[in-house]
Amino acid sequence: MANRFSITYGYYFRNYYRSRSFYLMLLLVLLVSGLMVYLSFRYINKLPDFIPELKGEAISTSLKEDLFLYIWAFVLSDLPVFAAVFFGSPAISSEIENRTAFQIFPLPIGRSVLLISKYLASVSVTLIITAIYVIVEVATYTIVFPGQLPATFLKSIGLLAVFIFSISAFTFLVSSIFKKNLYAYITVFLIYFVIFSAMNIVFELIYSYNPFFLLDNAASIVERVFVNVSTSTFAVNNSLAGAPFSSIMVALLVMILYLVVSLVVALLIFENKEVK
Amino acid sequence: MPSLDIMGLSKNFGSLQALKDLTLNVDTPQCIGILGPNGAGKTTLLKIITNILKPSEGKILVNGINVNQNPTKALEKIGALVEQPEFYPYLTGRDTMKFVARIKGMSVSESSDEIEKLGRITGITGYLDRKTGEYSRGMKQRLGLAVSMIGDPEIIILDEPTFGLDPRGMKEMRDILIALKEEKRRIILFSTHLISEAREVCDRVIIVDKGEIKFNEEISGMRGNKMRIRGDFNHVAKITGAKEITSKGNEITVEMNPGATRNSILRELMESGVEIDSVEGMDRMEEVYLSLVQ
Repeated sequence: MANRFSITYGYYFRNYYRSRSFYLMLLLVLLVSGLMVYLSFRYINKLPDFIPELKGEAISTSLKEDLFLYIWAFVLSDLPVFAAVFFGSPAISSEIENRTAFQIFPLPIGRSVLLISKYLASVSVTLIITAIYVIVEVATYTIVFPGQLPATFLKSIGLLAVFIFSISAFTFLVSSIFKKNLYAYITVFLIYFVIFSAMNIVFELIYSYNPFFLLDNAASIVERVFVNVSTSTFAVNNSLAGAPFSSIMVALLVMILYLVVSLVVALLIFENKEVK
Repeated sequence: MPSLDIMGLSKNFGSLQALKDLTLNVDTPQCIGILGPNGAGKTTLLKIITNILKPSEGKILVNGINVNQNPTKALEKIGALVEQPEFYPYLTGRDTMKFVARIKGMSVSESSDEIEKLGRITGITGYLDRKTGEYSRGMKQRLGLAVSMIGDPEIIILDEPTFGLDPRGMKEMRDILIALKEEKRRIILFSTHLISEAREVCDRVIIVDKGEIKFNEEISGMRGNKMRIRGDFNHVAKITGAKEITSKGNEITVEMNPGATRNSILRELMESGVEIDSVEGMDRMEEVYLSLVQ
């Protein structure tokens, strides 16, 4: 079983890293990283101007470091979404649309092994893509702020890893519903960038309630561990301190819940999938 | 000894009944051709055997193991090529074959040997290190056949394996199937539209129409006692072993006596100086097919 799993994982991983999507994401992440490096050196001394509450006053080095890491993490938390869309959205629908299911389904291997292997391969390439950005971030940070990275950084990276598992599982779920890749791509984009955003606005503005259960809201913890400012909501309780422990735990639980539920439902659908 | 039992199999797609209470038992190595028009249920049957579709009713046992209940175990002994095969485009033919070989329990060195052997048999050796996204349809078909043969399966399921191939490719594919059949170790089940192909390759023919098996008989039992011969028959007045001779221009139709063989008649004709251009066996298969399939 473990052997079959590792063989299947290797097979899918190879297919992912040789794909056009991988090189497209690689290009995207290099462009974004380059842009962030440029902006970091260009605006590092103007950070206080970005926070209206500071009214342009000088800020401590520690807050400056947190703001630097917040802005990098803010961009970082969107990268897995794009990667997951590229790698996860067509994961199952493509088996039907591209007819590879006819080759895979008659093999003596459980569909759950196929799905989990492919899921982990997709997560792996997403981790590689985001790791490139993180390496550039760390290099830039050590040049701008000589010294050690704060422990909060590791916390943020840990949460990012959970988010990558979570968003990938979510895209696999969407992919398992459709037989056409395009529908899966569009649906993931619509849900994450339109429906979730709209729900955030509705809950915040109409009900003055923070919709902590939405995945994009939970994912913002990746940057909020540095400075508790949410740009995805109209929250009024923003703070220049990092998010409290309770908020981190809630966000973590929400992400894990999305991961488990999405993966279980995707597995159930895939197990019963038929290809006419 | 491999066995395949199809018991009361039905498959519905909404209100359409694609298969109706289909039953078939195969317990000796042989090659079975499934003939039938488009939409008859041939591919649906093969897809259910290979776990691509689930049955609405009934069950399929492979060596006594229920495909629907324990697909992983049941499919261990099956090699399949269903519909026109497609593969992951960024992987090579070798990657694809290696994956299947490893899944079927072969070691790395065993799988390398198997890939080389099957690459030679199916004529894809020179293409093994190319990405499958660059393969032509014919190459994909050959790779699909090679994949289906990995691990020397006891049961091979082939869905129109010659579809989309050029005449040379079709001939080569048929030769591979005949060679596989002649080993008499496995059950080969393959669907085709071509009566001539079934006649050439199979031991037994099943005709499926509207989701039902309309006919199931050994090819040997369908051989007719007539043959059509084209050539120069100026000197022929009588053929020993011929019950009746009908002539039309440079063509004669010979109805054989019981006990006479095609070879004996042809030998006699050649010995009497007849130059034979072509010989065509006339069996009941086409007749039966046309009478059953509307």
